[in-house]
Amino acid sequence: MSGGPPKALQSTGPHSLRDMPHPLAGSSSEEAVGGDSTPSPDLLMTRSFGDKDLILPNGGTPADTSSPASSSSLLNRLQLDDDIDGETRDLFVTVDDPKKHVCTMETYITYRITTKSTRVEFDLPEYSVRRRYQDFDWLRNKLEESQPTHLIPPLPEKFVVKGVVDRFSEEFVETRRKALDKFLKRITDHPVLSFNEHLSVFLTAKDLNVYKKQGMALLTRVGESVKHVTGGYKLRSRPLEFAAIGEYLDTFALKLGTIDRIAQRIIKEEIEYLVELREYGPVYSTWSALEGELTEPLEGVSACIGNCSTALEELTDDMTEDFLPVLREYILYSDSMKSVLKKRDQVQAEYEAKLEAVALRKEDRPKVPADVEKCQDRMECFNADLKADMERWQNNKRQDFRQLLMGMADKNIQYYEKCLMAWESIIPLLQEKPDAK
Amino acid sequence: MTENNFSLKKIEISVSEAEKRTGRNAMNMQETYTAYLIETRSVENIDGQSVLTDSLWRRYSEFELLRNYLLVYYPHIVVPPLPEKRAEFVWHKLSADNMDPDFVERRRIGLENFLLRVSSHPILCRDKIFYLFLTQEGNWKETVNETGFQLKADSRLKALNATFRVKNPDKRFTDLKHYSDELQSIISHLLRVRARVADRLYGVYKVHGNYGRVFSEWSAIEKEMGDGLQSAGHHMDVYASSIDDILEDEEHYADQLKEYLFYTEALRAVCRKHELMQYDLEMAAQDLASKKQQCEELATGTVRTFSLKGMTTKLFGQETPEQREARIKVLEEQISEGEQYLKSKNLEGREFLKNAWADIERFKEQKNHDLKEALISYAVMQISMCKKGIQVWTNAKECFSKM
Repeated sequence: MSGGPPKALQSTGPHSLRDMPHPLAGSSSEEAVGGDSTPSPDLLMTRSFGDKDLILPNGGTPADTSSPASSSSLLNRLQLDDDIDGETRDLFVTVDDPKKHVCTMETYITYRITTKSTRVEFDLPEYSVRRRYQDFDWLRNKLEESQPTHLIPPLPEKFVVKGVVDRFSEEFVETRRKALDKFLKRITDHPVLSFNEHLSVFLTAKDLNVYKKQGMALLTRVGESVKHVTGGYKLRSRPLEFAAIGEYLDTFALKLGTIDRIAQRIIKEEIEYLVELREYGPVYSTWSALEGELTEPLEGVSACIGNCSTALEELTDDMTEDFLPVLREYILYSDSMKSVLKKRDQVQAEYEAKLEAVALRKEDRPKVPADVEKCQDRMECFNADLKADMERWQNNKRQDFRQLLMGMADKNIQYYEKCLMAWESIIPLLQEKPDAK
Repeated sequence: MTENNFSLKKIEISVSEAEKRTGRNAMNMQETYTAYLIETRSVENIDGQSVLTDSLWRRYSEFELLRNYLLVYYPHIVVPPLPEKRAEFVWHKLSADNMDPDFVERRRIGLENFLLRVSSHPILCRDKIFYLFLTQEGNWKETVNETGFQLKADSRLKALNATFRVKNPDKRFTDLKHYSDELQSIISHLLRVRARVADRLYGVYKVHGNYGRVFSEWSAIEKEMGDGLQSAGHHMDVYASSIDDILEDEEHYADQLKEYLFYTEALRAVCRKHELMQYDLEMAAQDLASKKQQCEELATGTVRTFSLKGMTTKLFGQETPEQREARIKVLEEQISEGEQYLKSKNLEGREFLKNAWADIERFKEQKNHDLKEALISYAVMQISMCKKGIQVWTNAKECFSKM
């Protein structure tokens, strides 16, 4: 079970030792990405297991981790599998096996969630439960409430326009399943979120509704305090790095939106092209019935165009199912990140306001009152969590988009390869000499 | 009009240039038209070198005049068609304007093709008017008109849709007419859909160009991803612009199909000619039979069939034997003439069938060969397009992998 906050000035929940540098170790952004940072007292011990000391199973150099400045633990460096962020996984979650449930009041889909873990938090090594979209939505809300200083991954869109999309079609359900699977994997990859109490319950409880009703709010200290930050404070000056993140996210979302529109437009044009092809091919067939010597060549061309049409349909289906949803997820992701940034601003603004108020009061100087210290504490935790999450997010985003765009290129290559094969195969047919009369 | 002292032994014809001209038309109004330069080279047999022997300028209307002349004088030949007068089966990028340079260029090729077809036809190539078309710039129009071919033309041929009740047409020609109707319909349909396909394909490629710009803009805010995105964007631009050449190549395929679309008209014209000849023959035979009948009735005095003469005879009394003799004599003369006429028409008809069918067989082989070649070159175009597509996307993929 996750205990209470272990130390002062650390963020919520237990961190793995590989985590970011000490929050008070200065705010230069370089520390998060590159060079050596001043190790905190807590992390000094593990520093001795530096890169040079370790003997790796494959004898190679240690792979890059997303936080190279972290004084890594031994666990980190023994890479037995090719993890993206180098963590040894002890929690595996899969979403699969969608099933339709027809009840008197409603019809809905549930998904099977399979959890395998060696963590002590889990009583059993393996769990299998059924959850519906509502439950995921509940989980996400709970995570946002209880971990307001972290970036919570997005869910696939909740509402679908009835009549346009069939909520129970295989394609829609499969697309959703993939997105829900991604959602859970992102959470279980997160060093803090993966230990969240609500997540554990979500993964293990037989009946989630019972738990929901109990309304157990396990807010951590920071979570509680951030929750109660009132708005209305004006931010003096946003630290450069957070301003930069904000600007980045704005432009990023904008560009993704454009790419989404372009991709949709391409699919639309391809579908219209497909419609024409489906009329075009059969005309050759009709013609072939009219001819004598040209019958086979014309029929061959007709079949060829038919094959190309099928290949094109596969391409458009793939793009619709695999490409567009991921783009949209990232747009949702950056939206939710923007609101976390806003909250951070609020926390900072409150701190600044309180500090200013103290500065005006003469009697408290030089000692800083406790509640102002709390504000500062809150702000700095928030900043640290956010920075760490941003870095992790940037890295994952790069991997995700690399995979997404390579996938898009792949699908197009496959389409052209199918067409090429079709056309090459009829050349000999076309060149065939007619039988001598 | 053929002259045997002229034979086109190994000549090369090319329509090498097109030029815009202005002039005054028949109604003395200013007009702009395009003139085409026709160059003729004769190939010396010994060393294969070609010498420019003639070069002159002709406009489209003169080609039409030549073709109309050939249609009248060689009704048993499937006369090669001209390229279209107005741009049809256009997709959005092509201009339907006759003055558009792309249209003019494709017309130039089509006109050259026409001349090559005529000059390679075993019978048409020997025609004097055709020879003069290639060699006598001035006065050619007058020379053609002097042949009086317009008067010779059977106006009924033009009305291809009017039906004549022909009792015994040659089955091969009935089938052929049916075939040309079907073929015309199919190729028209094919060309229409192909134009739409081209239009859509154009759209697909061009939209990809937008990726180029947005990837470039996105790369500006990225650190490690930037280079990969930027270079991938460049490949998207290449992809988008590749469609112009691809579709231009496809137009050649469409032009090859169009030629055979227009050939169906020439086929139909030959069938029509047969129909008319057969009709005239049947009418003449019918007329002859009726005269023989009349003659017989007069001679024997029996009226087996209803006739006006019979009626009036009954009402107003019979004619004198002298009158009857006179009439019989006239009829016998007419019958004799009629039999001669029928005989020669029959012969003509059979000659026509023989010659026409020979040319149709030649045409069929030509058509099968040409269309096969056209399909092969179309497949080759598609293969090239697929290979280009694979290349571009492979390049893009590599850029993405470096993100």
